[in-house]
Amino acid sequence: MAAEITQAAPAPGFLPLPCGAMRSDRAFTVIAWGVGLVGLVLPLGILGFLLIEGMARLSWAFLTEAPAGFPLGSAGGIAPAILGTLALVAIGLGVALPLGVAGAIGLVEYAPEDSPWVRVMRFGAECLAAVPAIVYGLFGYAVLVVLFRLQISLISGALTLGLMMLPIILIGAEEALRGVERSLREAALSLGVSRFNVVRRVILPKALPGILSVTLLAAGHAAGSAAPVMFTASVAFARGTPALDAPVMTLPSHLYYVVSEGADLEQAYATALVLVVGLLLANGCAALLKRRLAR
Amino acid sequence: MTATEPSAVPFSAQRVRGRFSDRAARLASRAALALVVLILATLLLLILREALPALGSALSAEGILRADWAPLADPPRFGLAHAVLSTLMVTTLALALAVPIGFGIGLFAAEFAPAWLRHVLQPCLELLAGIPSVVYGFFGYVTLVAWFERYGGMATGESLLVGGLILAVMVLPFIACTSAESFAAVPRALRESAHSTGVTRVHVVRRILVPMALPGLFAAVALGLGRAVGETLAVLLLAGNSTALPTSYLDRGQPLTALIATELPEAALGTAKYHALYAAGLALILLTVTINSVVWRLKARVMRHGG
Repeated sequence: MAAEITQAAPAPGFLPLPCGAMRSDRAFTVIAWGVGLVGLVLPLGILGFLLIEGMARLSWAFLTEAPAGFPLGSAGGIAPAILGTLALVAIGLGVALPLGVAGAIGLVEYAPEDSPWVRVMRFGAECLAAVPAIVYGLFGYAVLVVLFRLQISLISGALTLGLMMLPIILIGAEEALRGVERSLREAALSLGVSRFNVVRRVILPKALPGILSVTLLAAGHAAGSAAPVMFTASVAFARGTPALDAPVMTLPSHLYYVVSEGADLEQAYATALVLVVGLLLANGCAALLKRRLAR
Repeated sequence: MTATEPSAVPFSAQRVRGRFSDRAARLASRAALALVVLILATLLLLILREALPALGSALSAEGILRADWAPLADPPRFGLAHAVLSTLMVTTLALALAVPIGFGIGLFAAEFAPAWLRHVLQPCLELLAGIPSVVYGFFGYVTLVAWFERYGGMATGESLLVGGLILAVMVLPFIACTSAESFAAVPRALRESAHSTGVTRVHVVRRILVPMALPGLFAAVALGLGRAVGETLAVLLLAGNSTALPTSYLDRGQPLTALIATELPEAALGTAKYHALYAAGLALILLTVTINSVVWRLKARVMRHGG
């Protein structure tokens, strides 16, 4: 832009850019576009690959049948894995969502603003959100599976995933609550409404899309990670509906077992597709909610 | 009796109920916070406790920092050296690729892309960030590993090279998004006044955008580093899971996370192996906490500049 303008109408006193600079400018623009397109082609390419390869192997029976064949997973479907993943995330959310939202309300509404206590909490939560998933697996194994004798079971895995989602939900809910306009809160408080009712009737409804959005993100993150459930909940094969005290199959760990056995990858394509599409739906909804909130 | 007293009466009558529920709510939310703190403190302390027996002799020749991983030797040795080296190699390769490309995408999104393209690019990067680790592992397994086996003349395509390549794709969206944000946060006036003096775009980027966005760019690298170090499933499937000390990128290796994932199911409680694996977990925690405090500092600086 700048180069074109100076070239078209060189103002008196300004010289057009030297030729070398123009050329390097043009090269720079080309490189920037090239790199930018990498950011476009890479995700679409990976998604396209999974879609094309996965769709060919996807069927209704695949979604509704249990795995079969030898080695396991070379025939049949992934119904128990879908159920297991849903159960794990649902129970985990049942723990993490109330705790996270209540904690966030405590931080935003019942703590003095910008007290060191709030900052320490936020720092701790951000550190924990960054701790690798496998560390949660280590913790879940040592505490839930071994110490509390819950064995490798749905409940151990769900609590582990709940712990993993907790800091994400806490941070997100806190941001959503803080994002509610000050004037609303102050107007309500000035009318003599108690803090509790201000939170319940004014702040929470306003912050709800933001909280839901981060909850979906956290749930998607948890549903997709195999590392925390590998030692706490998942087995290569489980039948029937998930029970609290029995191990379950999960989509990511099923995919891992099938690939690491390395025998027959046909089913793995479809499993990966189901997992990715499910997570994309969750993330897409989260993004929509966030955008609605921004407007 | 002051003049304000009578007008306060109708309010105080209503407030009694409000006060009670208010107190209950405050108590409940504080209790929730305390529980969160308690759980998280337990997490740290417990992993520290389980790691402690392995830390005492960490620096001796048999310790976790110097020995090799030889569970079948007599006495068995549980050194983490090969895993630390593998993590270092994979992470270095991933960042060496993802940082320049990620910054490029960030710059493109903030400076070059027309608005419509920006609105396409953002969800695309979110898509990349939303694909789970195990799917990346699978994807790398059926593409890169297969290609290396067929065309690279390697016996097994699994190697630190493949792990690093896929890891680069995985951390790319985090680096790109964070750097795009910090490029976009550079005040418009600065950028426009620079352009209005007729200098080239290269010049504006080099002299205005990059220096102003520098803290954010560092934060982006740190964020990517944290992600790369902690990724498990992808490197577990792609790096080859070999306990030998890797000497080149074509060797198979076993990053810390992959080591934990492979060995924990077979580690009996309270054995040296079990403690060594928790020491590896502790190392991961310490690393991410360190990285996070750096990001925290840098973010504070970016906000101060922006405000």
